Amino acid sequence: MRDWQAFVRERLKLPGLTLERESRVVRELAAQLEDFYEDARARGVSDAEADAYACRQIEDWRQMARDVWLADRQHARPRFDRTIEPVLERLAGPMPAHVNGRPGGLFVLANALRDARYSIRQLLRSPGFATVAMLTLALGIGATTAIFSVVNAVMLRPLSFPQPESLVRVHELLQKFGRFSVAPATFLDWRQQNTVFEHIAAFNSTGATLATDSGPQRLSGGLVTWDSFELLRVNPALGRTFRQDEDAPGKDGVIVLSHRLWQQRFGGDPGVLGRSVSLNGAPVTIVGVMPAGFNFVGESEFWRPLALNPANATRGGHFLGVIARLKPGVSIEQAGAEMKSISERLAIQYPANSANESAEVIGLHAQVVETIRPALLTLLAAVGVLILIACANVANLLLVRATVRTKEIAIRTALGAGRGRLILQMLCESTILALGGGLLGLLLAYLTIKPIQTLSAGIIPRAATIAIDGTVLTFAFAVSVITGLLFGLVPALQASRSTIGSVLKEGGRSSNAASGRWLRNGLLVAEVAMSIVLLVLSVLLLRSFARLTNVDPGFRPESVLAFRVALPNASYPEDQHRIAFYDRLIERMEALPQVISTGLINALPMRGDYLLSFSVKGRPPAKPNEEPSANYRVISPHYFEAMSIPVTRGRAFTPRDAQKAPMVAIVDQGFVNRHFPNEDPIGQAIDIGNGGEGFYEIVGVVGEVRQAGLDATPFPTMYVPYSQDVFSGMWVVTKTRDDPAALGGLARQTVQEIDGALPAFAMTPLATVVSDSVAQRRFSMLLLTLFASIALFLTAVGLYGVVSYSVSQRTQEIGLRMAIGAQRGDVMRLVVGGGMRLALVGMVLGIASALGVANFLGTMLFEVTPFDPASYIATSVVLMAIAALACFVPARRAMRVDPIVALRQE
Amino acid sequence: MFSPELKKGSIEMLILSLIESRPRHGYEIGKLIEARSGGKLSFALPTLYPTLLRLENRGLIKGRWVEKAGERERCFYRLTPEGRRVLAEHRKTWKAYVAAVNDVIGAEGA
Repeated sequence: MRDWQAFVRERLKLPGLTLERESRVVRELAAQLEDFYEDARARGVSDAEADAYACRQIEDWRQMARDVWLADRQHARPRFDRTIEPVLERLAGPMPAHVNGRPGGLFVLANALRDARYSIRQLLRSPGFATVAMLTLALGIGATTAIFSVVNAVMLRPLSFPQPESLVRVHELLQKFGRFSVAPATFLDWRQQNTVFEHIAAFNSTGATLATDSGPQRLSGGLVTWDSFELLRVNPALGRTFRQDEDAPGKDGVIVLSHRLWQQRFGGDPGVLGRSVSLNGAPVTIVGVMPAGFNFVGESEFWRPLALNPANATRGGHFLGVIARLKPGVSIEQAGAEMKSISERLAIQYPANSANESAEVIGLHAQVVETIRPALLTLLAAVGVLILIACANVANLLLVRATVRTKEIAIRTALGAGRGRLILQMLCESTILALGGGLLGLLLAYLTIKPIQTLSAGIIPRAATIAIDGTVLTFAFAVSVITGLLFGLVPALQASRSTIGSVLKEGGRSSNAASGRWLRNGLLVAEVAMSIVLLVLSVLLLRSFARLTNVDPGFRPESVLAFRVALPNASYPEDQHRIAFYDRLIERMEALPQVISTGLINALPMRGDYLLSFSVKGRPPAKPNEEPSANYRVISPHYFEAMSIPVTRGRAFTPRDAQKAPMVAIVDQGFVNRHFPNEDPIGQAIDIGNGGEGFYEIVGVVGEVRQAGLDATPFPTMYVPYSQDVFSGMWVVTKTRDDPAALGGLARQTVQEIDGALPAFAMTPLATVVSDSVAQRRFSMLLLTLFASIALFLTAVGLYGVVSYSVSQRTQEIGLRMAIGAQRGDVMRLVVGGGMRLALVGMVLGIASALGVANFLGTMLFEVTPFDPASYIATSVVLMAIAALACFVPARRAMRVDPIVALRQE
Repeated sequence: MFSPELKKGSIEMLILSLIESRPRHGYEIGKLIEARSGGKLSFALPTLYPTLLRLENRGLIKGRWVEKAGERERCFYRLTPEGRRVLAEHRKTWKAYVAAVNDVIGAEGA
């Protein structure tokens, strides 16, 4: 049996009625025709005859439609729709019966709703187009939203302290080293003399070993002046913070716990207040617990009083961080000016230590984001370009689509739809596309939050707070709408120019063929240019990164395990106790069958310089503050061996270089180059400003090591044996025969066997230490490369689309050419040549722009100039290859055009 | 048999009277007219259906989609109170008219 509703709908045209009414009429007539049919069948008539009988019931459908209209015109639909929709239906198929709510009342809103509905219907009719466009936009909007969520969390969101805008950091400015930590005596003077701060507090990070039932636990913490919490305006969740009288040596046996430590180690027990715990072997009393999420001095697990002793505070050792809260009405500049004048007074007062020193005040927030800011802004700019490329792509798709829809648009114009209305309708369509893309993009961004957090942990401050919040949502929405308008406006303006006359003249093909082609080509050129810029930048970063990772750190980190041990003063009060412990530790470690050799050092390479001043015996003394300085490293005899650092002259340390033996030092080649360029360093003696007395005799020279990271120029280094200046905390580096990570358990056990109260902590393969030192660069490089790849992909898709379209438009021309003797190769050249010309123009423009903007990468580059020819050439080659591929596919289709078929098409 | 003009004048009354006792669907109404008039009166769908629409739009009848047991869903029309009043009026007028006409032509033929 036939589908009677379809039968009626096909024949009965009721443009004047509301959709609701129309569908009721269709339904009822269909029901009645079916009654006729069934009745006939029931009378024993054959199926075909019954069908014919039912069909005969209505013969003049136009008359029927007229009569229904006359009977039912009180259900007429608004005039605009009445004229436009039959045309649209003829062009685009029947309207789905389920969308039939008629907007009334507010005209504008009604139109907007109708536009939206119509747009959705149009998009549903071309699912392929809609999918490609939305996916393209999703890539652009998703990447932008993801990066914005990072920028939002890191740079835009205020710090989580009350009134964060009045919090500042105060640094010393040293002529030689720039911004520097603060010396205790200087801090005390600042505190006493300033008039601009409500509070000024000092802090230093520390570590401590907490004795617990399940063995020693290593904690990181902060030593803070007593009023730090008051300064930050954060109250404890439990108990109290420090009293002023506790911030003094000998009275500082108190501790404030972080919320996390309280939960993990004390089970959130409110009864911990007043309890005494053993920290570094000495008893301290728990007085308070800070609220969850309170972060101060890194991710401290506890805080203790800094307990500076004004009596012996120095001006030479710079190790304090200083934070302050501005008095109301005082600006950062005013505070900076006052701190500078205080420093000038101090410089005059203490010429030996404070000459040439100044001070700097910087907003706390600015300080936190300072290092990551250029990278984030670069990435934000990159995703901005990416979104423009996506826009160009979708605009191109819309332009092609507009040429296909020229006829529809022209007819709507002829029927009285104003140009403004048409443009609005098309913008509505593009905005809906953009919002769809935005929604997908948001999903994409949401899925990338976790990987970004993982990738950026330790590189980006506050990485854990990266999230999609209201601000990010608003941003994504705004970007989507703006994108929609951006890529929709040009095609809309273009398409709305169609007139019925021009359409008819051109036989239904594009009325604006020429200008449309110009626009499409222009967009494509822009797209190629933009992706070249991104590609060049990412290749520059890639090459920088490759250069960086090829830098010789001066040691072999492979199969070396590093961990730290810290000896508490309580149980290891004297140097000989410490030396004895470390001697035993080395002995026990080296006795392990997997271990090749084990060394000690006070500070691991790659983690930063630790400079001390020195003087060379027999040379005139330097002026105050102008003494030479060098990295100071305290090591054990097998350190160079464990790290594979070559001893180039003289000898390494031996166990004979003991506490009471003659003092000896080893320097690196950089030290020799700078301080003994024309002398033999062996046998020279240096006095090192490490608090000890006497000269160290240089007994050896070793290779240079990058102490401050792969990207930092090595600074001269001097080594002394640990027996002659032992530190309470030392790093242990152990070279193993196999996987260093596998040695972890044994190393912990070995430390515990020597002293059950000591943990081995910060355990990590040395290779990780090296790769961590380039983590921020890796982060920027990876993301930018990702964005550039997406850009390249989008550009290839765009190129493919434009060339394909032009092939489809030129089928006849190609057929004709082939009919009069053109070979397939000629057709190939024609098509590929057309696309490649565009790519070439885009490439030239892109290279020129890249030359302009590459400079902004500045310090993100490493040993690669912004104008590195290889990067530009490589990028161009890659882009042209991809472009050729994108043109080749449609060109192959063009080659297969059958001239006969093509010519017959008209 | 009867001229279209003649039939047209009476179709509304026929429909209204057929659904007076109970709701009926469109096809049923058409078939009933045919049956009850012994085949002398019949209205094609293109005439009948627009009339139903018109009557409904004037508020004399009301269509409702009903699915009876074991049957397809059909639109059943029932008389509205206004329809009932109009039908009564129609009947009165019709009878008076027929009587008047009969008086004239009967007198002539007698």
